[in-house]
Amino acid sequence: MFKQPSQLFRKSSRAIAEAAMVAAIAALAACGGDGHGNNNDGGGSGDGGGTTPTTKTLSGVVSSSGYVPGSTSGDPTIKPGYYAGATVFLDSNANGKLDDGETSATTDSAGTFALTVDSDASGPLVADITTSSTNTALSAAVPAHLILRASAAQIADQGEDAIVISPMSSEVQRLVEADSSDYATEKAALATRLSAPFNTANALTISGADALADVNTLSGDEQSALLFEDNALTNRYVYATAKFDRGDLYPDNLAVKGGDPRLVDLSGVSTATAVTPQETQAAITFAEAQQAAFNIEGIPRYDNIFVIIMENKSTDAIVGNARAPNINKILDTYDQFSTYYSTGKPSEPNYIAVGGGDDFGITDDNWWGCAATGDNAPTDVAFAGGTASDGQPLPAMPAMPTATGALSGYSSTCSGTNHNISAANLFTQISSAGLTWRVYNESMNPGQDPRTDSVADSAVVDTYNEGGVTGTADYAVPGGLYKTKHHPGMGYQLARNLPEFYADNRTVIGTQYTPEDWAKSTAYTIPQGYDYDQLGTDLATGDVGQLNFVIPDQCDDMHGTGSDTSCAGDNSGQSPIINRGDYYVGMIVDKIQASALWKNPNRHEAIVIMYDEGEGSATSCCGWNAGGKNSGTEPLVQNADGSWSQASAVTNYGNGNIGHGNSIFAVITNGQDVGSAPKGVADTDTYSHFSFTRTLEDMFQLSDPVQPETYVNRAKYTEYFIAQNITNLPEFAGSADTHFDAVRPMNHAYVIPDGYEQKLNPADIQGVQNPDTGATDGAITPQTGPDANQDNIWATQ
Amino acid sequence: MNKCVAALLLILALSACGNGNHGAASGASSSPSTGSDDDSSSLSAMAQIGKKAFFDTTLSGFKDMSCADCHSPEYAYGPPNSLAVQLGSDGESYGTRAVPSLRYKDMTPAYSDEAENPDGVTLSSPGGGFMDDGRADSLADQITFPLLNPVEMDNPSKAAVVEALKIGAYAAQFEQVFGANVFDDTDAAFADLGQALQAFQREDISFHPYSSKYDLYIENKIGGGLTPAEKRGLEVFNTADIGNCVACHYGGASFDGNTGLMTDFTYQAIGAPRNPDIPNNDDPAYYDMGLCGPYRTDHTPAQLGTPDAYCGQFKVPTLRNVATRTVFFHNGVFHTLDQVVHFYNTRDTNPEYWYPSSGGTGTPVDNPDYALQPTFVPGATVDKFDDLPADEQGSIDEEVPLGTGVGGDNTLGGGTEPRAVHSTPSMTEQDITDLICFLDTLTDGYQPPETAPTHGACVN
Repeated sequence: MFKQPSQLFRKSSRAIAEAAMVAAIAALAACGGDGHGNNNDGGGSGDGGGTTPTTKTLSGVVSSSGYVPGSTSGDPTIKPGYYAGATVFLDSNANGKLDDGETSATTDSAGTFALTVDSDASGPLVADITTSSTNTALSAAVPAHLILRASAAQIADQGEDAIVISPMSSEVQRLVEADSSDYATEKAALATRLSAPFNTANALTISGADALADVNTLSGDEQSALLFEDNALTNRYVYATAKFDRGDLYPDNLAVKGGDPRLVDLSGVSTATAVTPQETQAAITFAEAQQAAFNIEGIPRYDNIFVIIMENKSTDAIVGNARAPNINKILDTYDQFSTYYSTGKPSEPNYIAVGGGDDFGITDDNWWGCAATGDNAPTDVAFAGGTASDGQPLPAMPAMPTATGALSGYSSTCSGTNHNISAANLFTQISSAGLTWRVYNESMNPGQDPRTDSVADSAVVDTYNEGGVTGTADYAVPGGLYKTKHHPGMGYQLARNLPEFYADNRTVIGTQYTPEDWAKSTAYTIPQGYDYDQLGTDLATGDVGQLNFVIPDQCDDMHGTGSDTSCAGDNSGQSPIINRGDYYVGMIVDKIQASALWKNPNRHEAIVIMYDEGEGSATSCCGWNAGGKNSGTEPLVQNADGSWSQASAVTNYGNGNIGHGNSIFAVITNGQDVGSAPKGVADTDTYSHFSFTRTLEDMFQLSDPVQPETYVNRAKYTEYFIAQNITNLPEFAGSADTHFDAVRPMNHAYVIPDGYEQKLNPADIQGVQNPDTGATDGAITPQTGPDANQDNIWATQ
Repeated sequence: MNKCVAALLLILALSACGNGNHGAASGASSSPSTGSDDDSSSLSAMAQIGKKAFFDTTLSGFKDMSCADCHSPEYAYGPPNSLAVQLGSDGESYGTRAVPSLRYKDMTPAYSDEAENPDGVTLSSPGGGFMDDGRADSLADQITFPLLNPVEMDNPSKAAVVEALKIGAYAAQFEQVFGANVFDDTDAAFADLGQALQAFQREDISFHPYSSKYDLYIENKIGGGLTPAEKRGLEVFNTADIGNCVACHYGGASFDGNTGLMTDFTYQAIGAPRNPDIPNNDDPAYYDMGLCGPYRTDHTPAQLGTPDAYCGQFKVPTLRNVATRTVFFHNGVFHTLDQVVHFYNTRDTNPEYWYPSSGGTGTPVDNPDYALQPTFVPGATVDKFDDLPADEQGSIDEEVPLGTGVGGDNTLGGGTEPRAVHSTPSMTEQDITDLICFLDTLTDGYQPPETAPTHGACVN
């Protein structure tokens, strides 16, 4: 019998694969009989010569991975291992459960199993991994029930004595079921998806055999790439198992076409926006749970998403604006959410809302330590320095920034509004899951503390000259090209305290100042070997994160700063800064679209182009403070019994989350470029930053719709949640449109009723007079009734 | 309304108000309905002192007048009458400007010549500050002006105010909050009073109730549906080439999470007619020119007759509760909203409605009922912008609907074209009716009717 290596010190995965193949052929040669025998739990097989064997042995390993928090490089530390004490059985009826009559075996301390079954038995193998099992990667008990499986086809492929049950084996079978495809196809597809560079400039080609191999036997970049995926898949299948064990309703409430079935006849819900569910739900099956874990609330898993956040333009300042040809081409060609609301004013509360589904009453752009006293006092710790996963040298940083002059409004008191948020946020959620985030910031001073604004640097000089706009000649870098107020994670204490915080704040090349210009910088000591364009590097080496924010500087984001004529302009949409920002968007999108990651048809990649806020009047939707500053709104806290209460009053909380109107939100997916994902979809259902936060939580399986508390802050305020907790949410009392007021994932499931007029802020859609033509551009007439189709913009095919 | 009627109103108002009207509402212990819960428990200790001080008549020279006498809680903390200017504590002096509402003031930033505009679009310009000329930086600083002004509360000194506090009903509370020795330092104690009054105005919800129909509308609440007339009025309000009110009375997201304040805190020279009801105006050499003086002193023209862009500019007020007022503009020259809106509409096209004229021949022609001047003699010369010296009229606003908004920097001196005399005004009479219907929705304390009316004013 093939003996399982005890640890990862195998020389060659190929050798194992070949050995497995030999064994499989041998096994095939030995079979052919049709004898029946009693099921023997773990018993030996009959291999005596001359007689037809009545049983056979299926053997192999259940491999694992284990995420070890603490990496400072930006790539998580994930160790290989095995599941010991897992129950393995042949799941003849593919229901995911060990039924009477199905024999089982238990993995030993090295994760190996040997299961004796009828010689003619076939079907998938299931490994049932309970909390009494051990993950040897972490030498720790398994934290949550996990069911993994390996298909019959895989068993035939790997050989009955070399079976590897792993998240990868589950994934191939899930894809077979999702695509009504076959094992060979999906094995190849998985291998192709993972054959992307993984933190290396070297090409990485992963064979199907290796993708399904015991990850302990692999090495180098290949093992790293597979471990990373193994961990992400483990999270998904743990979640699938939980859904199956709980008997969740399928589909998810907020994925049901036509609307959340819980709202039917529920009191406190507006009749004008009543739901008409078009699907019935039933207790989820094993097979459905497998799929549902990859399509939470109808939001499919993405490998990477790039979110480009622009500044301060109402919808009408962009739509149809000849100064923004790239963005308009994207809007016209790809997909858009056309009723998208910002949630605060000015910038900072909007970015904080994107990063964590609330603005906590912040109504200015002050630094993250403003009015942060007592329990809110910063707890930042010194960073010893190091190297990011992509090679970027990271200088040491003190616990608190020393360049206080580069902290916006450093001496201000912020009217007592705490700016250092201790609440949950996307960044810590992603980190906790062993996934990765990056914030790519244009125009940081080389070597600067990312917790401060960039400063003026007279040694860095150049002239803007792109896209038909020429700026002031030899204009020196002004202060504040990089602003912490535009960083979605900066306000969150837990995000700043992540070990990978410094490694995950990265550079992206600009349009005005070249690496050669920046190399003359005198603002801070430039680290040796500094990379001025980590986004470019990371796209080439596959070291981008799952969630990537791309934050252009204040000249390329349409905001404006300094006196460079190319960076001048108001928010009317009629100044050179529109051309400049549009050019930048085009440049970044082109770079991403040109990457191997994007062109890989088996990967799911997306680009979002959005704005932090409109410029009209203060309205929002979808989790907003719908009662204004006197509403009595406060954050909620969950009690031990699961019920909710208002938290103790947060100073000025009622000033926040009031919104600042509509702006565009465009989505490009690589499925539209290299596959057949739908194009030209306009989803006019109402969404806000909080909806986007929720969508990202679903996309990366950071939260669980069955447990509202797993969604950050106001991202949990669905129509059902609000109705259930209306006494704690006085801002929503007396609503004339509870659908409009509530958060939902951006999945196009709700069907807008006939006669319902799209609610857009008039000030953001009235149109802008073009001084060149005298015409009014960008005026939008609100839509009445449902959308042309209900295509889900995030659909991957 | 013509001037005769206005004068009659003034007499009627005098009998009802002024220093004779502090019986029931006076005294620190008496707190009339503030529109909010009378329970002060939600106020901080400092704000509770501010509340007492706000209604304390002993803080005036003749112990007969509190803040609330002019800033009446029942009238959105504005004047309880239609007087252009109010009678002072001495019972014989009159103020110099109309009393503004104290509602929705707490988020006003300090004055700056280059103030950021809350709309995020408009370029920086003079903005912010308290008083009609922005000369107080905060609600706390502001108290000096009414308290120490001889024609208002008429305290001779800060010491006199502090002495009144010291012997007043809530002296112990004052010491508790500001320190046992608070009364030893007059300036500090006076500043503390400012902090207390500021805290009251910031904390008490009655100063920013956000309880109008417009709030229900913006917040998508039941009962907040605007009628067709109100919707048309909102469109007039917002439309740049019709009402264009929103250009200054900005309704969007403002500072500190406030919204729908209907002001951008800027200063404009609208050119309101001179009001003879203000005693100071008896002196033909006296001009109240807002940012350039006489009360504000940092923009006083170097010498009289030198054009100064700051002259004639007064703070843009909130329009919340504007429909409850009976006195408008810094000099209180108008007494109805209908009159004000017509003034905006026809100041340039029909200046004879608004400014005195002389000369001409023939039978006087009746002006419309809303006009300030009852009649006009054909061919007469109109003394336009009669409340500003001729040299200081360059700052006059010529944005729509006052002027054409065409060319220049929106001012007369900056080259923006006025509307031609007797040309068609920007708004129709229907526009004006609808606009006023919309302005009515900005009144706090709105209770939606059980059933929406189907006919009547402002419905269809």
